Amino acid sequence: MPSKQDKKPSIIWFQGVTCNGNTHSFLNLENLDKLLNKFEIFSHPSLPSTKDFDSVTRCSLECDIFIFEGTYDPLMKRNDVLISKVVEYYAKNAKYVIALGSCASFGGMFKASAPHRNSGLLFNEQEKSGPLLNQQTKIINISGCPIHPEWLAYTLSMIEKGREVEIDDLHRPIELYSTLAHHGCTRNEYFEWKVDADNFGEKEGCLYYKQGCRAPMTHASCNKILWNEVSSKTRVGTPCFGCTEPDFPRQNLFSTKTNMSIPEDVPLGVPKRSYLTMAGIAKTFHINRLEGKLIDYKTTD
Amino acid sequence: MITKQLIDQIEGEASIFFDMKDDVVDFATIAFPHFRGIESILKGKSALDALVITPRVCGICGHAHLMATVRALEDAYKNAGYPIELSEKVEIIREFTLVMEIIQNHFKWIYLTIIPEVAKLTNSTREQTPLKGAYGASIASKAIAIFAGQWPHSSYMIPGGITTDPTNIDLLKVESYMDELIGFFEKESLGISLEKFLAFESCKDFNTLNSDISHLEASLVDIKMNDKGLSYDRFLVIGEHIFTKPSKLKQTRPFAIDAKYVNTVDAYSPDQTSYAKNAQYKNDFYETGPLARAIATNLPIVKNMHRRFKDSAYSRVMARVFELATLLEHAKELLSKIDISQKSCLKSVDIPKITAKGIGIVEAPRGPLLHSVNIKDGLIQDYKIVTPTQFNIGSSSKSNPTPAQKAMKGMTQAEALFIFRTFDVCSVCTTH
Amino acid sequence: MARISKEERKTNIISAALKLFSEKGFYITTIPDIAEKVGMSVGNFYNYFTSKDILAKELVMYISEYLGESIRKINDQEITTEKKTYEIVSMYFNMADERPEMIEYFLRVYLSNREVFGDGCEGMICVSPFVTEMMMFFNDGVECGDLHDQDFFSAFGLFMGYLGGMVFLFGEKILPEPLEWYKESISQNIYNALKTR
Repeated sequence: MPSKQDKKPSIIWFQGVTCNGNTHSFLNLENLDKLLNKFEIFSHPSLPSTKDFDSVTRCSLECDIFIFEGTYDPLMKRNDVLISKVVEYYAKNAKYVIALGSCASFGGMFKASAPHRNSGLLFNEQEKSGPLLNQQTKIINISGCPIHPEWLAYTLSMIEKGREVEIDDLHRPIELYSTLAHHGCTRNEYFEWKVDADNFGEKEGCLYYKQGCRAPMTHASCNKILWNEVSSKTRVGTPCFGCTEPDFPRQNLFSTKTNMSIPEDVPLGVPKRSYLTMAGIAKTFHINRLEGKLIDYKTTD
Repeated sequence: MITKQLIDQIEGEASIFFDMKDDVVDFATIAFPHFRGIESILKGKSALDALVITPRVCGICGHAHLMATVRALEDAYKNAGYPIELSEKVEIIREFTLVMEIIQNHFKWIYLTIIPEVAKLTNSTREQTPLKGAYGASIASKAIAIFAGQWPHSSYMIPGGITTDPTNIDLLKVESYMDELIGFFEKESLGISLEKFLAFESCKDFNTLNSDISHLEASLVDIKMNDKGLSYDRFLVIGEHIFTKPSKLKQTRPFAIDAKYVNTVDAYSPDQTSYAKNAQYKNDFYETGPLARAIATNLPIVKNMHRRFKDSAYSRVMARVFELATLLEHAKELLSKIDISQKSCLKSVDIPKITAKGIGIVEAPRGPLLHSVNIKDGLIQDYKIVTPTQFNIGSSSKSNPTPAQKAMKGMTQAEALFIFRTFDVCSVCTTH
Repeated sequence: MARISKEERKTNIISAALKLFSEKGFYITTIPDIAEKVGMSVGNFYNYFTSKDILAKELVMYISEYLGESIRKINDQEITTEKKTYEIVSMYFNMADERPEMIEYFLRVYLSNREVFGDGCEGMICVSPFVTEMMMFFNDGVECGDLHDQDFFSAFGLFMGYLGGMVFLFGEKILPEPLEWYKESISQNIYNALKTR
């Protein structure tokens, strides 16, 4: 029996108020060509596209997956057309809508460009009150600033294979966002025993207590699916800034807010009393191995 | 009659308004329509937050913004009476990641922008391989990520140094990525070893090759780009690095330069509001970027091109190709100089103690990037950003055009659109 | 005769031990002394506590939990930080008045014989329930804006050092007035030192 030649799912990648960070992150995907071969790219900010931009903004195309990158600004125009018209049309027309990045998911960095009118597609920070509220069953939020290319590749592959992408309350794929950025950090032992980093630029010490690391409060897979296949922020001693969460960007990013030396935010789901009991005890121990340097290089000067 | 041409795939979009006479461009104005107000967003924030916010000006050159910010902050520390001494290791690693970002930018620009655009003009049937650009960029990004944690959008540079404390394992890994990248570039793009390519002294040397780069070069000659896209033939390099020679250049004659003479003026764009200000030096327009940097460092092959073809679109494009090659070699050299026993970050006073102004300047992929900050008790009072595209691709009056406007004059519309792209436009940077 | 439960017996031992330790001193009091006071054999005593050192540590944890629970009740109340401060001082002074052996044990045995508690009571592990509740008091106070932000130990030392000092003076019978009389002024002093300026 002759098999039906299935058409490749079509993608329109459209932008709001953006820095293009997600576009460039995606271009780093390993085996990008193999993934792209499974789809037809109608329109993309830098990859070869099969349709011209005019037909995108004229709303004359039928596409399967509408990817939106950037904050949604109802007054913004692209190609002299209001993006609100384009977004409204393709959200109804497409089978899937992917809000790519924290700007499209929650408002993100560029909500501040026009805070009273900018938002994500479905969420305005924590509130579910975005312009595509009526299409919410189609919307998948891949939050991050930028996204990791594998997070998008995962979502597209699942769609292409016809598998359901299970999502959390914030419409983020559970398989990607159920772990915390904290899981897999190479400094975990320092977190366990409350050995804080004294300064930046050291191999040792946990960055949660003083340097503002948000990893125990952030849903992300950065220390599981490594960045550029090799590393992550915390692995190079940079604190996590919580970029996948609706409150990104926060303020005073490189320091931890404490009340009487007690961290204002404790790990997700852990009651403060429980955290203080554990931390309070651990902090009073002095474990030589953990307080010393891992490697002592003989200096040349 | 004014015709409007919308350009996309330039890290955003822009509109060019062409005033044609006898089928060639008499005058063109450029409008960048989008504005995000990052300078306002920065006001009132803790100065360290700028290290996370400014990289979000741009997805392809965010790392340059990070370095400009950290330099501005460290300058403020110095002006507040707390000078920061950076170890040599820190200076080298910072320059390494900056250079790798330039390399990934050029890979993408060559394969995703320029080669396809040239192919349109030559009606070429040669197979397009845009993903070569993405692949080269991804390996460069890996090398960055070993030091910076990730690319794009790392914040691993902080006042006093860097957050990373690498071991020899990290250095060897980066070295192997460099070898992979260079091997890829040699095999897939150059068709000759990097060493031999860097020894080219004349454009005629390209005739010996049969590769993507040699085809690009030959195509540019075919469509006479070596005689088109000429502009002011004067250049600006401001960012101070091991790989740059800051100077103002009139043709190839270098002069001293002082960043305090950089000024901005509103764009002249009567047909549509443009949010991009024009950047000038002492009220004059200068071209910035790889061609400027190559001429400033007296790179023999680029000097040869310039002698024959001045600041044509050919020189502009090929200078970028050569910068990719020279930076690959430079990056490898930087790597070999890293002494891991040196300190990654020296502690200084907490930021709330800082009340001062500071300026940070780097050479980003497209030219000088200037950040100036005014801090009071650790909070940002004022923040100003000037990006390289503002130097190259501003929009000014007919009697005093910007470099890109001058380069497009007298061209057909198709040629003008191509010449516009040879400046490597970054729309998002320009309209921060 | 009603059967006394194991738990009750344990509590009886604890009460007796606390009283004897504070009356006679830690080193002079022996296991047989305590067993006799409770009315059980020495052999049976060892079913509850295998050594004097183990007993010593359990006593600290017992007091700590008692204090911790009392402070938690105060923390959970919907009252101002100023009122909470008063309630904590009041609770502590009441304890010093009604069950002096508990505070006495803490001040005169635990704090003064660190060599007994070195192994197994490192850092603050044995007083954790009490310290955690004080942390919650400070945390909530700063979070709601009543107390100014400062280092935890600076604040903790001020509060507990002050209370301990007063109870010590009380124990030495130096204070002219009953402890009750000092509650108001002490809690005012503490609150004024800790509150937002």
